[in-house]
Amino acid sequence: MNRFTASAVALLAMAALVAPAGAASKGPAAGKAVHVGVIADVTGGAGVYGTPQKNAYELANDDIKSGKLDAGGANLTFDVQDAATDGAQVVNLMQKFTTDGSTAIVIGPTLSGEAFKAFPLAARANFPAMGTSTTAEGVTAIGPTIYRDALAESQVIPTTVARTHAKWKYKTAAIIYGDDNAFTKTDYDVFKRELEKAGVQVVDTETFHIKDTDFQAALTRIDSKKPDVIAIGGLFPEATKIIAQAGKLGIKAHMMGGNGLNSPEMYAVAGPAAQGVVVGAAWALAGKYPSNERFVKSYTAKYGKAPDQFAAQSYAAAEIVAYLVAHGAVTKDEMLSGLRGVRVIQTVLGPLGFDANRDVKSSPVILEIVKNGFAYFH
Amino acid sequence: MFAQQLLNGLFLGAVYALFAVGYTLVFGVLDILNLAHAAIFTAAAFAAFSLVAAGVPLPAAFLLAAIFAGLLGILLDRVAFAPLRKRNAGTLVPLISSIGVAIIIGAVLRAVYGVDERHFTLGGLDTAPAIHLGPITFTTVELTIFLAAIALMVVLSWILRSTTLGRRIRAVADDRIAAALLGVDLEKTIAATFFIASSLGGAAGVLTGLEYNSVTLDMGGPIELKGLAVIILGGMGSITGAVIGGFILGAVETFAVAYGLSPWRDALVFGVMFVLLVARPTGLFGKRALRQA
Repeated sequence: MNRFTASAVALLAMAALVAPAGAASKGPAAGKAVHVGVIADVTGGAGVYGTPQKNAYELANDDIKSGKLDAGGANLTFDVQDAATDGAQVVNLMQKFTTDGSTAIVIGPTLSGEAFKAFPLAARANFPAMGTSTTAEGVTAIGPTIYRDALAESQVIPTTVARTHAKWKYKTAAIIYGDDNAFTKTDYDVFKRELEKAGVQVVDTETFHIKDTDFQAALTRIDSKKPDVIAIGGLFPEATKIIAQAGKLGIKAHMMGGNGLNSPEMYAVAGPAAQGVVVGAAWALAGKYPSNERFVKSYTAKYGKAPDQFAAQSYAAAEIVAYLVAHGAVTKDEMLSGLRGVRVIQTVLGPLGFDANRDVKSSPVILEIVKNGFAYFH
Repeated sequence: MFAQQLLNGLFLGAVYALFAVGYTLVFGVLDILNLAHAAIFTAAAFAAFSLVAAGVPLPAAFLLAAIFAGLLGILLDRVAFAPLRKRNAGTLVPLISSIGVAIIIGAVLRAVYGVDERHFTLGGLDTAPAIHLGPITFTTVELTIFLAAIALMVVLSWILRSTTLGRRIRAVADDRIAAALLGVDLEKTIAATFFIASSLGGAAGVLTGLEYNSVTLDMGGPIELKGLAVIILGGMGSITGAVIGGFILGAVETFAVAYGLSPWRDALVFGVMFVLLVARPTGLFGKRALRQA
């Protein structure tokens, strides 16, 4: 045995010790077929979010076949159906999955508004369903079978405000947010509450609409009030333009935002003005969890671009389901009791569990945009 | 702050005006509303993106994309309007067929480019430092966009006033049958009108893509409605009206936000428009102004 193979064997042995999920095991569900219904907006207006979700489940299907994702030897498959950002189609798909007799759990839909239409069907049928991106308040309250693995803005922003306030010691703030979207409106509510709690005076509030491209009028007005910090309640397309245009106008205030800003392309799109912007999020591309490093590598190899948070939270849902299946859950009732018994599962988002309201329990990560990526904000 | 907001409004208005000019030109000549104008706007932005990504210098890519949009306009006329014109289908049927073409263009773009937002690589132009002149700040990209939009509108007005083609276009707009009797080739003149209108719309698309460094499938949505408002405000068919209407829209949008009314921006824009239209139902520059251009 030469030195190379010796170290390879040692590495493998170590991998087997620290990551028992590395190779497919033989669990109680070995050999059985488990069918998971996934509802994602692959096309239509929310296609930007649904496409990375679809990619994540396809990768999970590959990883289960190759044994990288352990489902206890069961034949676990994620069946991704496109809801085309159409509420009626979302409801149809939920109806189909909850009544076809072969589906064990439904993951999705993509948007909170869709969740409020579709999850009541699952709740009435006592059918387990999990949202990975539906972060609006009240989604899990729809029923006792509705779970969520996505940290809501209300769980992320308080830490973001506390950490930035401790470091920057700001006294005044402005908030700019989209007033026609549940997600960005929540950003505003939570930012306002947390900033005021920290004794920060909110000197200006500006709104915009989703798909707006020009924010210079609002930013010029914000600048005239000279806030120390600007909180952005927006999703990626608007947030990148707000940051770039603020940079162009020479605005020197610190900027921060929530999950909507957590995209690997943030710096590439918003440009140098993005440097130093703080982003509170549920997941970090550079997260050192073993499955995350593998996920980021294989996703990038398969799709030619790094995963975003939508992909990561979907892959985490696949890991949760695979864990339950590896522990014997095959039917919808077994899936449900499995979910109820979850303590801690290792995922790409880090170790996570669920609280009494079926919301995810995990820690937010506070990131800072640096040239071509993110660094942890200290 | 006022000077900066005025500048913000001017930059915004220039692109609205450029888009609306092409929109209203087709209406002035053919009396039809071309609802595929926004789809051509988007297609040209994607064409420019592909050209720049392939290494074509930006000015050449801009020109080629505008020409591509013009050709797409001619094709649009051949497919969606010419057959209906031959059958005297009125003005409502072409409206529907133009929506059909818009949907087809959108579907093709989605198939080719996918759903992701695309960004130009501007070779450092996008990271060039902003220019500060007293109280105002702008970038070279913005200045170039503004000047290009103004230059294109000046060229259009020169073509319409001082060239044989312009005289033919105005003759067809005035009375199609009389123009034909006098020896004007109707179909050629209409094709030229579509080429000019669509290449201006395409130019507006490329400039919008550059201004925000963002090319998306749905970028034509907001400007389609705004462009329609602008040409109605300016007076259907009026080039001057479209230009002035574009700048008014840019200014109202900007100052609504500047005076702290951001949640009311769109309501205010359309409120102002409503009041102006009640006062002047034919728009600022009346109907058929193109004929006297």
